[in-house]
Amino acid sequence: MSEELRRIAGELLSEKKVGVVIGYASTVADPNRTTPIFIRRPEDAEKLVWNPLCVNNLTVYLTKKKPEIQALGKPAIVAKGCDTRSILGLIKEFQLKREDVVILGMSCEGVVKDFRSWNGALSNGNIAQKCLYCKVRTPATYDFLVGDELPGVEEDDPFFDVKELESRSVQERKAFWDREFEKCIRCYACRQVCPFCYCDRCIADKTMPRWIESSAHERGNFAWNIIRAMHLAGRCIACDECSRVCPADIPLNLLNREVEKEIKEKFGYVAGMDTETEPPLRTYSEDDDDSWIR
Amino acid sequence: MTQVYRVESPERLTELLLDRGKNVVAPVAQGAVHRFLKIDSVKQADFGYFQAQMSMKGLFLPATEGILKFTVGEKEPRIEEPDLSFPETVIVGSRPCDAAALPIQDKIFEWDVVDEFYKNRRDKTTVVSIACTYADNNCFCTSMGLAPDSSSGSDLLLVKTDGGFLAEAVTEKGEALAGALGLGPVGEPGDRQAASQKAAELITRRFDSEKIPGWLAANFLDPLWEEMCSKCIGCAACTFVCPTCHCFDIVDEPVGTSGERRKNWDACTLWHFTVHASGHNPRDLQHKRYRQRIMHKFNYYRERFGAFLCTGCGRCIRVCPVSLDLAQVLEEISARAG
Amino acid sequence: MSVYSPTTVNVTGVTPETPDIVTIDMSFVDDSYARQFSFQPGQFALLSAFGEGEAAFAIASSPSETGNVSCSVKSVGKVTSVLAGSNPGDVLGFRGPYGNWFPLDIMKSKNLLFVAGGIGFSAVKSTLLSVLENRTDYVKVTLLYGARTVADLVYKKELEEYENLSGLDLVKTVDPGGETGDWNGRVGFVPTILEEIDGPVSETVAIVCGPPIMIKLTLAALMTKGFDRKNIYTTLESRMKCGIGKCGRCNIGSVYVCKDGPVFTAAQIQEFPPDY
Repeated sequence: MSEELRRIAGELLSEKKVGVVIGYASTVADPNRTTPIFIRRPEDAEKLVWNPLCVNNLTVYLTKKKPEIQALGKPAIVAKGCDTRSILGLIKEFQLKREDVVILGMSCEGVVKDFRSWNGALSNGNIAQKCLYCKVRTPATYDFLVGDELPGVEEDDPFFDVKELESRSVQERKAFWDREFEKCIRCYACRQVCPFCYCDRCIADKTMPRWIESSAHERGNFAWNIIRAMHLAGRCIACDECSRVCPADIPLNLLNREVEKEIKEKFGYVAGMDTETEPPLRTYSEDDDDSWIR
Repeated sequence: MTQVYRVESPERLTELLLDRGKNVVAPVAQGAVHRFLKIDSVKQADFGYFQAQMSMKGLFLPATEGILKFTVGEKEPRIEEPDLSFPETVIVGSRPCDAAALPIQDKIFEWDVVDEFYKNRRDKTTVVSIACTYADNNCFCTSMGLAPDSSSGSDLLLVKTDGGFLAEAVTEKGEALAGALGLGPVGEPGDRQAASQKAAELITRRFDSEKIPGWLAANFLDPLWEEMCSKCIGCAACTFVCPTCHCFDIVDEPVGTSGERRKNWDACTLWHFTVHASGHNPRDLQHKRYRQRIMHKFNYYRERFGAFLCTGCGRCIRVCPVSLDLAQVLEEISARAG
Repeated sequence: MSVYSPTTVNVTGVTPETPDIVTIDMSFVDDSYARQFSFQPGQFALLSAFGEGEAAFAIASSPSETGNVSCSVKSVGKVTSVLAGSNPGDVLGFRGPYGNWFPLDIMKSKNLLFVAGGIGFSAVKSTLLSVLENRTDYVKVTLLYGARTVADLVYKKELEEYENLSGLDLVKTVDPGGETGDWNGRVGFVPTILEEIDGPVSETVAIVCGPPIMIKLTLAALMTKGFDRKNIYTTLESRMKCGIGKCGRCNIGSVYVCKDGPVFTAAQIQEFPPDY
């Protein structure tokens, strides 16, 4: 698949159909990692790789957070299924026009959960949890499809990952998250890696007034992490990048997936599958469930 | 002449410390990572670890700490000064790259005026490091003038040899600790040389760092910054796990009419770091912020304080969400410096 | 007490200067602190509004004034808007003096050309006051001061006094469009008006402060006049937190604005990387 990808990328660049190809390259020092690469010249297309180490959600580079990348010209982007869901979400939020990006969709059987666990092949021991319930092994949208069409994973309960936590009492869940958030150092890796955290001035950075305390203590960390999850409600497509990048090893995916489950159950909505369905938190419908209003 | 002692193992040394009621901090396994935490029993410690994800700088410069308390709303605000006394602590199990960061950071916290929060903790802490017997390709301590068995910053350095561990008393504090624990002195630590040789061979990633400050001073506007550093997404993961990064923010946190003024970790990689009240930001694009990080560590700090603000521990590389390899940037600069 | 602990000051007076700038007069609550306190012209202090935070301001009063320190505060953000709303009787925090100062001793027997814009005047006010208090130490003293509009001029009362002060040549100006019907000063940007001011360049030291664009154009105008960069002094603003060289925020290259500055010569600034 790498060969096919390089060929398409090279042609797009030499025919000047795009100004930059955003993809993955091998890292120099560590064979067990990949890193984002911005290819400008057709001859550099050979640097592109495709393998289960291609974990990054590169769509973050399409957002207004990275004006210097946007300035490189019309992008083509190497995108796994989960990444294409981000792109559809960004289009729905008017951050991107479909015609302004060329999507090189990669059919994907999974990526590693973290670079440390790579041992040459993808297995149940090192596959990312999100891949175990992936419905977009063939990307949700694309201009080119590299690889064969693959069916989504069949799973009786698509939210099996949050089941265990859900089964605990409120007190137990609070204790769980208090312990996890105690480790948070407010590095904002979760925010910066997320394609949907593109606010010009994040609420955590506002000072007039100070909505969220910047200190890495219980109050500040709880406020930050919960508010970020709430601001992503109905938008997050659970690419799980936030969990992967957290240097404090906090399972942020559990929080976002729980919110995703609530959105599915309450509004019947799944983010990032198309550009037509209205996101629930910006729409009002008379049949919205209001049983929770007491 | 450094006095050298024998000790069976770091675990045995820790037991001796805990038996004497000492406050001990050691690497503790938590899920996939290790952290430096207070332990009550030697069983909690994992000395066979590679490296803690977070450095131990949080033990001297906490991620957040109160520097004074205030109560407002009455005629005159009431100020409560901070408690600058800290408990005696022994850290067992830090790596040489963790310990070497301390004398480097001392320079700024003791420059002209002394930051008591940092200094008092330093004075009350004894550092017992364990020399490395393993390295990965992200380690580059030798290029920073150190080695997997450096003693800089440690009070006692444990080095694994055939017959257990040698414990080098690097400082008076280390000497005093060895005495207090009744460690047996060794006359001729012959196997130390062999251990040193083995340690040096662990590091495969090497570059000439001496050329770097000169290139940096002359190439502030070089295209290298945009080419290599634009992919940085602007989080603070590298800065916060780094043992030498020390920049901080001071904020007031009111809760009702009282509150605390706090000192919190901050990072030059974050967009807000240099934004002026007028809205002007001298470092408005990410590559300029990343440039500042490299300039500060490998040019400015070296110029002002005579040391690189880096021990080559490699954490920044391991933790980076986009695998931006700082050592690769340094290797490129060293190569361009010719 | 730690190096970050402020002492407290009573607000004794608040003078509105412009729609968004006030001058706050303060006296130290602790008498023994007041007795040992002194500062040099050009140094700055960090004022605390407890509960909001701290911000850095040039000390604008004269160093010879006992029992009072003044700072002029422009309301631009969280801390400054609260400080600017102070009332007499309020208690604030004060940390300082920090930084370096204008080296008046090497400027003796020279002509002095003060060029200031907007609130930049407050950063050179203490120096101007010291000069006027020791007037015979200097030769010709000129003050060129301008703001966007008449309302935006600070120290309006002092400016009126300076009109009639024989030892000071005052040229005041507002930007084109900023004049009112009864304005009796010049109309034009400060660097433009500067071009029209003549004087013996080699025996003159320039002291400049204002918005970044004004400083840049003023420096260029002074160079055109033939000034040596070593004889042009300015004071720089940088985002500050600790003020004592620890927090790593205010640096421009390897220079810490809070320790090595904020006063620099144009010759020194020329060596800085474009990082401000």
